[in-house]
Amino acid sequence: MKILVAEDDQLMMKMLEFRLRKDGHEIIVTHDGREAVAKLEEFQPDLVITDIMMPYLSGLEVVSAVKKKYPAGTPVIILSGMGQENVVLEAFQLGADDYMTKPFSPNELSVRVRRFDVSAVK
Amino acid sequence: MTGRSVTYLLSISWQIQNIAVAAVVVLMVCLLTFMLMYMLGQSLQERKKHKWRMISDMLINKAIFYEERDEIEDQILESVLEAAKKLTGNKHFRKFITGELISAKKNISGASSDSLKQFYLQLGLEQYALRNLDSRQWYVKAQAIQELTIMDTDEFIDQLQAFTDDKNEYVRMEAQAAMVQFKGFEGLDFLDAITYPLSNWQQIKLLQLLSARPPSNIGMDKWFSSQNPTVVIFALKLARNYHRFELHDAIASCLDHDDADVRLEAIRCLNEIYTDETSDHLIAHFLREGLRNQVAMAKVMQTVGTKRDELFLFDLLTYDSDELKLHAARALVNASKDGLISLEKFSKQSEEAIARILMHIKAEKVA
Amino acid sequence: MSWQTFILHLFTYGILLYSIILLACYLLIGTFSIMETRSYLHKNSFTDYRVLASSTEAPSMSILAPAYNEGPTIIENVRSLLSLHYHNLEVIIINDGSKDDSLERLIEAYSLYKADFFVNQRLKTKPVRGVYRSSNPVYRKLIVVDKENGGKADALNVGVNIARSDYFVCIDVDCVLEQDALLKLAKPFLESTRQRVIAAGGVVRIANSCEIEGGRLVKVNLPKQLLPRIQTLEYIRAFLLSRMAWTKLNGLLLISGAFGAFDREIVIDCGGYNPKTVGEDMELVVRMRRHMEELGEPYKVAFIPDPLCWTEAPSTYRILGRQRNRWTRGTIETLRSHKKMFFNPSYGILGMLSYPYWFFFEFLAPIIEFFGILGLIYYCFEYAVNWQAVSIMIGVICLGILYSIFAILMEVLTYHQYKQKKEILHLVLAAILEPFVFHPFVVWSAVAGNFDLMRKNNSWGEMTRQGFTANKKN
Repeated sequence: MKILVAEDDQLMMKMLEFRLRKDGHEIIVTHDGREAVAKLEEFQPDLVITDIMMPYLSGLEVVSAVKKKYPAGTPVIILSGMGQENVVLEAFQLGADDYMTKPFSPNELSVRVRRFDVSAVK
Repeated sequence: MTGRSVTYLLSISWQIQNIAVAAVVVLMVCLLTFMLMYMLGQSLQERKKHKWRMISDMLINKAIFYEERDEIEDQILESVLEAAKKLTGNKHFRKFITGELISAKKNISGASSDSLKQFYLQLGLEQYALRNLDSRQWYVKAQAIQELTIMDTDEFIDQLQAFTDDKNEYVRMEAQAAMVQFKGFEGLDFLDAITYPLSNWQQIKLLQLLSARPPSNIGMDKWFSSQNPTVVIFALKLARNYHRFELHDAIASCLDHDDADVRLEAIRCLNEIYTDETSDHLIAHFLREGLRNQVAMAKVMQTVGTKRDELFLFDLLTYDSDELKLHAARALVNASKDGLISLEKFSKQSEEAIARILMHIKAEKVA
Repeated sequence: MSWQTFILHLFTYGILLYSIILLACYLLIGTFSIMETRSYLHKNSFTDYRVLASSTEAPSMSILAPAYNEGPTIIENVRSLLSLHYHNLEVIIINDGSKDDSLERLIEAYSLYKADFFVNQRLKTKPVRGVYRSSNPVYRKLIVVDKENGGKADALNVGVNIARSDYFVCIDVDCVLEQDALLKLAKPFLESTRQRVIAAGGVVRIANSCEIEGGRLVKVNLPKQLLPRIQTLEYIRAFLLSRMAWTKLNGLLLISGAFGAFDREIVIDCGGYNPKTVGEDMELVVRMRRHMEELGEPYKVAFIPDPLCWTEAPSTYRILGRQRNRWTRGTIETLRSHKKMFFNPSYGILGMLSYPYWFFFEFLAPIIEFFGILGLIYYCFEYAVNWQAVSIMIGVICLGILYSIFAILMEVLTYHQYKQKKEILHLVLAAILEPFVFHPFVVWSAVAGNFDLMRKNNSWGEMTRQGFTANKKN
């Protein structure tokens, strides 16, 4: 699967890359919300994983941008340090498909990502 | 003063001056040299860090895939740990690798997180942290406690317990956080004994740590009678966050507390934990409070106010403070179905501010 | 002894005494700054600011950003303010009667609608024309206020009225903030248990020649032009040494108007910003401190040395001169309206140390320097070269350079923003050049400010027309 990851923390990004590459996914690395939205067009990812607190555009704005562009497809998983109820609710209202809080379990992420993998289901 | 002695004084001060200028210049050169040496040292460190980063990346990678490893992987891990262990004699390396492990540990949970702890212990880094607990410098101590906490080394809990009422603010903050991290709500028993105030920052941190834990049934009301006002405030926050409705009367009795900040927290707490009688408690205490707490009470009335409080709320509309009026008006609208209508009636026969408040509230209703 | 020699001696020893006091001040400031900076950095090394970013218990904060004719950049700037890391935040943009299309641009970009909003007029201000909010939930933190032009202080007062938070942060809308700026600024308010923190100041750094993209700092560079480069040095000196030392003594008087956080309740209690002065940022802090001293409550003005706010510095002598002229007027006005505190022991440190320091070293120093040098030149031409006075002057200049180099060293040891060795070399060169090319001009502008104020040539009208671009205090 082609996964676009938006995460400004380098170490976090490294860990995500380790995990997802090993699962055989192709990773598009972006370091902020704006870069993520810009690369959406270019790479047409199958899945987006995004942090919330990022430079330029927040993860919530990334969600709305993805959902605006691909109303039907391209699921978004939010992976954020923010676990407050209202933020989670807002994320889902904006169309996020899944929400994980940091600290996160890489194994759990791997399983959750697989759920969105259409090719694997076939 | 004779002319000669003036000349003499002048010549001496002239010399002193020259020496002073020379000293300033020498000092300048010293500072510059020191700066240069420091920067050179830094860039050497940077170059080394590049190598070190390979080791830390390897370890983090191994931690993530710890459950999927095989014999070959084990051997690689073994040799990486071996190489890292050799470097732990180097203070800078220790600082670097500990830092990397800590940031990784903060971000991940589950089995991968456990293996990070294991690597930490295998490298013997905890020995250095334990040694630092005896340091005379507060920041070394506090940092060591934090490190042991984040790495989840609960085997040293007894050593850390002793620091929960340390005279240094940062040392005790970290030790308190350690207790909560290791024991959850049970860990809060340091609240029984602490003599120093609990800062807001620390309260936020402890609540955050607790939020990762399943709620517990510990009685927080025992802290309501603490001599330490900040402990009472923290206990009130706990009661509010965990919706402890059975504590309502104990919370309401905090409205009689001597400390205005405690009373404020009790008022805010009643916004979440209330019964039919809450508004009576608030009204009974209203006149004793200063403006800040009165505003807070009026805010709570929006949640707890009922039709029988209307008289009180209309009375608030005649107070000086616009903020009080705004909250009172909102409370009136919320108190009963015909609240809005009676407010409209009221606004026609009173000052213009009420009419604007009414507009504001109507706009809020729409949005 | 003839009167000429008497004057000459008086003059020489006057300068000597002055330089000895200056040396003592430098030494004390240096020492206190090292102590305070060390303790701050140690604290910072194990503080996790993420706790605050994601907590619902964090206090509410409002950003107040007055804008006047900022049309071309306002959309980007607001966007970067909205992306700051702080959960419990509202961003209030105050359009101070701009003559351009700032408001229309904002309405368009953020789908704003005019809301019926009850403005609690606790501070008296010019009328508010409307309050706008966004219909897009992503921008629910944003409030845009449209008001009649009244200057920066008046705009900030409107913001204070509208804010609903415990604390507010005032910033210049064209400033570039680091993502975690608010978290760091909020911390002192939460940390203190024995004293009430009434305000927290932040560092302003110079953004000239830095790479900025979409309202965010991408790469720090040392300014390429000489004037901003020397100001970089000047700001490092002011923030890393002087403000840190004053914080240690709890005697800080000035929080930069471009970036500082305040306790809203206390600001309202003491009447908000004063629209009648050009130095409203300093005046407010002095008034708040005075208010707390008069109440007899323990309080503190905190200061955060991390480089969190970046701004464009004047790069021409004309604009720089106007800025320094205005700062001088602001200082004098503030000192004048609070002269009651001058060496008044009932105001503690504030009356016995901070105020006198500002009086002698910020207000009087340029005047003494100006007339001292004038006198020396006159004497040299009229009689003979007074070698002793000249050598004292050289000594003072060397001392100044030493102090600057010490400041650069502190920067290298602490934040080390300028990574290349060449940049540090350029800073050192700037330190050597400063006493000859920059300092005399600054002194002259300050003296001119004194004259202007005396002539009652108070150009506020011009200031509101100018907007706030050149209105940042270091």
